[in-house]
Amino acid sequence: MKSVKDVQRKEYYIFSPFLRIFHWIMVASILILFGTGLLITKPALVSSTEPTFTVMSMDLIRDIHFITAFVFCASFILRIYGFIINKGDRLFPRFWEGHFYSETVEVALHYMLLKPHHAPFLRNPLARASYAGLYLMVAIEILTGFAMYFMTEPSAIGGALFGWVNTLLGSEMMAHYVHHYVAWLIIVFAIGHFYMVLRAEFMEGEGEVSSMFSGKKVLAHVPKDANELD
Amino acid sequence: MQKRESLLEAYLKRGFSRRAFLKGCVTLTSLMGLSMNMVGKVVEAAENTPLPVVIWIHGHECTGCDESFIRSASPLASDLVLTSIALEYDHLLSAACGAPFEAHLDETIAKYNGQYILCVEGAVSTKDNGIYCMSGGHTFTHLLEKAARGAAAIIAYGSCAAYGGIQAAKPNPTGSAGITNFVGGKPVVKVPGCPPIPEVMTGVVMHVALFGTIPPLDGDGRPKQFYGNRIHDTCYRRPFFDAGMFAETFDDAGARAGWCLYKLGCRGPETYNSCGNLRWWQGMSYPIQSGAPCIGCSNSNFWDEDPLTDRMPKYGKLGDVDKIGAGIAAATAVGVAGHAVASLVQRNKRDNLLEEHDDH
Repeated sequence: MKSVKDVQRKEYYIFSPFLRIFHWIMVASILILFGTGLLITKPALVSSTEPTFTVMSMDLIRDIHFITAFVFCASFILRIYGFIINKGDRLFPRFWEGHFYSETVEVALHYMLLKPHHAPFLRNPLARASYAGLYLMVAIEILTGFAMYFMTEPSAIGGALFGWVNTLLGSEMMAHYVHHYVAWLIIVFAIGHFYMVLRAEFMEGEGEVSSMFSGKKVLAHVPKDANELD
Repeated sequence: MQKRESLLEAYLKRGFSRRAFLKGCVTLTSLMGLSMNMVGKVVEAAENTPLPVVIWIHGHECTGCDESFIRSASPLASDLVLTSIALEYDHLLSAACGAPFEAHLDETIAKYNGQYILCVEGAVSTKDNGIYCMSGGHTFTHLLEKAARGAAAIIAYGSCAAYGGIQAAKPNPTGSAGITNFVGGKPVVKVPGCPPIPEVMTGVVMHVALFGTIPPLDGDGRPKQFYGNRIHDTCYRRPFFDAGMFAETFDDAGARAGWCLYKLGCRGPETYNSCGNLRWWQGMSYPIQSGAPCIGCSNSNFWDEDPLTDRMPKYGKLGDVDKIGAGIAAATAVGVAGHAVASLVQRNKRDNLLEEHDDH
């Protein structure tokens, strides 16, 4: 049996440092935001503690949540800059091109274990579609989050910018619900994403995991989307 | 009422001194949520502006707003109704009834066309041509459209008039809705609450009456001076929230000690009202002060955001979103583990095939 190491491979530089740094900021942010978010919805029980010396400070947890949220939002500057200067960072699914659908179906069939392999890609179309879904969920979190955060002062600029979200959803409580539900969807995405990346690493040996550190992947065959980097 | 008198004339006619009148104006200024340097303008308006004609109609509701209104202490609702406004028509407070009463409404609308204030309590029932809420032989929708046409200003009192109210809760059998879409596009001052705070009710109508303009409104059409803050941000229990000290049940030590009611579903963080600063019955108390979590009764959809004693909705035996989410996450983890095993089998098969292919 041939080891993945015996195969002649070519190195492709795909992800700019800006995307990679953004990615890891996003990982940390999502974990912190999810943890603190759960605690904000259901504060931990402080029993048998003298209240003055309580370790569970809602104020602190909320501050961590808010600061992390601002850092996460600010990190999109890196993502956008990388998008502008580097073609490899442009991960939007090309659904306006016909081959996108047939390729996505092919990859999906492979993941359903119905096809032994799929055509090689630098950034496979199904994964790219899922990232678009992630950005949509993040956008919902940002909009509902700021809609709740800024409404301490509804007539200030923040309230004016994001207050419409509450109106659109019908009530501010609904913004809380949506924010919380979508947070769970993001976690489910993260589990799936974590697995799919590890799986690709072990199945294809193309450096899927290290690509998010080095920016490079190593492929044995010419990928179908190689022309997108030219 | 042939010649409409001003507030000053009403005071003098009843034997009050000008000093009493000025005191009344100071009280009114604070009630309307205005700063004290507005007193001069209030006095000026109260001296010269003829008392406004008010038509007060009731739709699909429980008249609880009126129960609140008649308990207004400063000004006393009786003072407001008898001396501060010319209340020409009110379903609940009028002694008259029947055809003459309805005829009087038509007369008032014709005589003061474009000048009267229309106060509306209660939702509009829209289903089956509105037959679930009838008034004087006509649907309430008919009455509202008729009265709104000539109104100088429209005030929607209560969550029913503002958003549809309790009867709009799922499945909303009568098709209840707020009045906004049934007043011919006229601006509506929303004074939500179930019921609204009495002093807020009198404060808003006095603002319209004295200045002839509607008070500054937020994006949702609510007067900023009364609905500009969350209850959470004005709550005297807020320090307990920040410190993470919560009542876990309604009868634990935390509840007795007056800790934050957040974990018992308090809607203070989502609710805009004056309960935290004005409080009820002349500042005596308000729900949170008496140990009951806020239910968000001035919110647009509070009746469907149950359970009111919990932060997140529950789905029967499945529990709330955290339970379901944890379940889905665990199922996903198990699923990918199974998929990993299947993938390895698949890879071995593929590699074997390739090897056979190479051998030939």
